[in-house]
Amino acid sequence: MISHKIRFLFLFALIWSYSCQDDQDKSDFGLTYPDYFPAPHYQFGKNKLTREGFELGRALFFDPILSIDSTISCESCHAQGHAFADHNTALSTGIAGLSGTRNSPALFNLAWQPIFMWDGGINHIEVMPLAPITNEVEMGQDMEGAIKKLNNHPTYSKRFRSIFGEKPIDSQQLFYALAQYMSMLVSYNSKYDQYRQGKSTLTADEDDGLQIFRAKCASCHTEPLFTDYSLRNNGLEILNDDLGYGRITLETSDNHKFKVPSLRNIALTYPYMHDGRFRTLDQVLDHYDSGIVQYTNLDPLLIQNGQLGIPLSQEDKLKLKAFLHTLSDFTFTSNPLYSE
Amino acid sequence: MKFLNSILIFSTFLFLTFTSCKKEDDQPKQGEVTIEFDHVWGSAEGEFSLNKELTHPMLGEKMTFTLFKYYVSNVRLKAKDGSWYTMPESYFIVDADASGSNKVVVPNVPGGEYTDVEMMFGVDSLRNASGAQTGALDPAKGMFWSWNSGYIMVKAEGTAPTSTDGTFAFHLGGFKGENKVQTVKSYNFGTTALVVDGEREAEIHMLANPARLWHGAEKLAVKSKNHMPNALAKSMTTNFYDVVRFDHIHN
Ligand code: HEC
Ligand code: HEC
Repeated sequence: MISHKIRFLFLFALIWSYSCQDDQDKSDFGLTYPDYFPAPHYQFGKNKLTREGFELGRALFFDPILSIDSTISCESCHAQGHAFADHNTALSTGIAGLSGTRNSPALFNLAWQPIFMWDGGINHIEVMPLAPITNEVEMGQDMEGAIKKLNNHPTYSKRFRSIFGEKPIDSQQLFYALAQYMSMLVSYNSKYDQYRQGKSTLTADEDDGLQIFRAKCASCHTEPLFTDYSLRNNGLEILNDDLGYGRITLETSDNHKFKVPSLRNIALTYPYMHDGRFRTLDQVLDHYDSGIVQYTNLDPLLIQNGQLGIPLSQEDKLKLKAFLHTLSDFTFTSNPLYSE
Repeated sequence: MKFLNSILIFSTFLFLTFTSCKKEDDQPKQGEVTIEFDHVWGSAEGEFSLNKELTHPMLGEKMTFTLFKYYVSNVRLKAKDGSWYTMPESYFIVDADASGSNKVVVPNVPGGEYTDVEMMFGVDSLRNASGAQTGALDPAKGMFWSWNSGYIMVKAEGTAPTSTDGTFAFHLGGFKGENKVQTVKSYNFGTTALVVDGEREAEIHMLANPARLWHGAEKLAVKSKNHMPNALAKSMTTNFYDVVRFDHIHN
């Protein structure tokens, strides 16, 4: 009789003390990246990375439920086959056929990115989705409405609870899940990476291209992420009143500066620049060679010894282009882990 | 005997299990402190309420607020012996609507007598840059800029016949550089101390004057909107925060 009771009590105590503990590490699911990458900027913090959390983020990324009329998902403008840039359109289409003024950037290696958007206005990967969800020309959905839809959704409410506990879904949970998915989008399997890892060699042209790149482009598009995440003006002709970084800092000396984009997967993500003005890499290279416009905020690296731009011969351009093509990561664009 | 034994074991287990994950919190006299913000209009301290037409004493323009909210955070209370009680996770949106959300409730204040309250108007820099938050800091509350990360620390909206489009909207914030608006203020209660004993009500009454936002500002006819951290946000919030004052204690 006693022993029976004691057994019961033991069980009770065991369950109780277990419930007080922090959740155990549920899996060894995590970020993987090569040793020549720096440590990621985003360390997850309180947002505990799990397979379930990642999969929930993935489901949300592909689900139009986050837009006001359930027509547009994140994936509508960020498609895996294009390294999560838009489907080769300069300006993306949001709800009701509306469109904004900037080109959808490719999404990868976001865990290394300290700032987001072309103008660097967003300071944390977790609050990133707030912008597209609430933007009137993208998803047009207020956060309260989005959260309500998720709470009323039978499967989502269950999935959120199993990850975040028995409480109503809030924006933090939504942002945590999306941050888990976005951070896990790591691209490091291009031919360039194979070469860095000693698993492949570059052709003579590609190798020459790499040397030209290191001499002329890498001060901004720094290896191995192919950006230094700084905000600069690269001499594009000013076609509209998009002040870029200047809109954020209100300093005229920051006007028309934009975040240096990564050049990984660059062959897959045309058109190029913040407004998608160039359709081809040839146009981009011509821009650096002979199209740079003199402007007070032009980056000093692009005007040296009184000479505007980066002189590139026809041959340089061919070689540079050959090298840029080695940055395409088809393992990334076809990885089933990232698709629904 | 056997039965008694098992009761003993049962209660020991019960005691152990229930205390195992609690912190020491047996301070018997702890209580709740409420800081209530009452809103007045102009230095004459006239009545302020939403959806009521008011005339701004300096601008001379008519305005009707439909919304008036601001952040108060990092609340601390100073005890008679000079020690401070700092409330953990202390973030509030004070809302001038009549729903009672003009009250900041500080729970679990250790029993004792308090002489001062300190609070931050706005949200500390750290939380402006720490990713997804909950509670009062949840961006779903509409007090966070999506395109230029950071909290809207004061939000005032309404209608004004002199404004070019008939409305006004001032979303004010900024947490870094020279346009950083958040400010720590402390207030002494004077001769009477605030008693916290878990039985008596402990209320601190503050007076805030939204008209001060436009102290020395341009007329609404000239400037009726602001939606970003900038020098205007800095000067408007500074003017507003500067005259929030301690009124009385209710014990
Ligand atoms: C209507 C098209 C559209 C939709 C839908 C959309 N985005 Fe975007 N996204 C863009 C554009 C355009 C930008 C660049 C905006 C800017 O810089 O101002 C962008 C930028 C981003 C960035 C910043 C990338 C960088 O390098 O700075 C991230 C991350 C992102 N989006 C994630 C998402 C997520 C998550 C969703 C779904 C919640 C989403 N997007 C939905 C078009 C879209
Ligand atoms: C001074 C810094 C700097 C240098 C040097 C530089 N770039 Fe850029 N690059 C930028 C910036 C900034 C942008 C984004 C500009 C914008 O959209 O307004 C950019 C954009 C690009 C883009 C478009 C990327 C996209 O996703 O749309 C390509 C391609 C590119 N650069 C290639 C190169 C090549 C090749 C070189 C060397 C010949 C080079 N860059 C040198 C700063 C630089």
